[in-house]
Amino acid sequence: MRANVLQATVEKRGLVFDPRTKLLLLIAMTTFVLGGAGQKSGFGGIVFSAISVILCFLPFLLLLAAKRRKAALRYAILYLAMYVIFIFVTPQTRGILNFFILGTSGIITRFMPSILLGFYVVSSTTVSEFTAAMQKMHISEKIIIPLSVMFRFFPTVGDEFRCINQAMRMRGIVFGGKNMSKMLEYRLVPLLSCSVKIGEELSAAALTRGLGGTVKRTNVCEIGFHMQDWVVFLLCATAYFMLILSKFGVL
Amino acid sequence: MKNEKLMGKDLINIGIFSAIYFIIIFAIAMLGYIPIFMPLICVIGPLIGGIPFMLFLTKVKKFGMILIMSLIMGILMLLTGMGYYSIIVGAISGFIAEMIYKSGKYQSAGKAVLTHGVFSIWMWGNFIPLFTNSEKYFSTRQDFGQEYIDALTSLLPPWMFPTLLAACFVCGIIGGLIGKSVMKKHFIKAGIV
Repeated sequence: MRANVLQATVEKRGLVFDPRTKLLLLIAMTTFVLGGAGQKSGFGGIVFSAISVILCFLPFLLLLAAKRRKAALRYAILYLAMYVIFIFVTPQTRGILNFFILGTSGIITRFMPSILLGFYVVSSTTVSEFTAAMQKMHISEKIIIPLSVMFRFFPTVGDEFRCINQAMRMRGIVFGGKNMSKMLEYRLVPLLSCSVKIGEELSAAALTRGLGGTVKRTNVCEIGFHMQDWVVFLLCATAYFMLILSKFGVL
Repeated sequence: MKNEKLMGKDLINIGIFSAIYFIIIFAIAMLGYIPIFMPLICVIGPLIGGIPFMLFLTKVKKFGMILIMSLIMGILMLLTGMGYYSIIVGAISGFIAEMIYKSGKYQSAGKAVLTHGVFSIWMWGNFIPLFTNSEKYFSTRQDFGQEYIDALTSLLPPWMFPTLLAACFVCGIIGGLIGKSVMKKHFIKAGIV
């Protein structure tokens, strides 16, 4: 079986951030890059485009710091290429071609940073780190457990789906195959039934770790804010401060 | 009713089914960047989402599980940049869905279908900013091009707002029926339910 790229391991991780910092960064990313908050013109426009450029550059740095050079490089090349197309090629085209190119490059430049950051967050946070961070934020156990199971479960679903996909391709249940109408059913049903099985195993494993007990659980995982966290925190705080300023018309 | 409190096993079940449900919805939502599919998310989402959700309902035996799943969907939408509206809508619709399923003592099959109909309304929450604050919404999507915005505006006139809500509910019910028949065909025979 091939090594799972989405599962975080504790060894050789490079620079480690607090999960709370990553969460904050993710929210900032979705507001400013994905959501495109802030002004578009005047001095404020320059400030906000600077913020979003910095934010777009961050996943690259973070992936480098987490020793995922290949992913970082791929991201940088694709993003830059799309950005160049977006800036230089789109003004030259008209009509349907413009619609197509603008759509593709616009969507990719907007979504890539957030998706990459999401990938970074999931791949660099262990489940116990995540749980520890959520506990420090005083979130109810009823939300923490399902969420941490979800994070643990996403890569598994991906793996299972890939295997099911291969099996179904062998039986000709693919796009353009002879059994196209069965595509959805023949993928969802096996996925669901094996997920239920995995769920039962997970519950059993969790029980042995005292998840069902009545006492408060402890966590040996050490998390805390370091130098690098403060840098990211400061960046996000500045961005939100600017947003508030522009809401009141100061900028 | 010997044990009313949610145990680890229940919470893990919520996590697993939320993960599957979210992946399916996310895949469908990706289609939304083709303008015509944007309003259709409210149709396709509940239709396909019914299959995992009906299976989830067979695991629900205690109060709170549907509500928590609904809230988690809202939180994930916030994290993926769809705004905070779906948390609010999800909290309300999740609570109503919970009450409906509870009134059937967590086993009535007919109520389960209705539950999925109500539960599906959280998806509608994502569309609220499109209607209440459409100028701001589109100003943040300038990069997609004027053609995209024009196409979307013509696809989503104001009367679509209540229509989408109804679409979520109706398709949720149809999705629930689909889910039930798939369950009958596959899962009950296999002894999973």
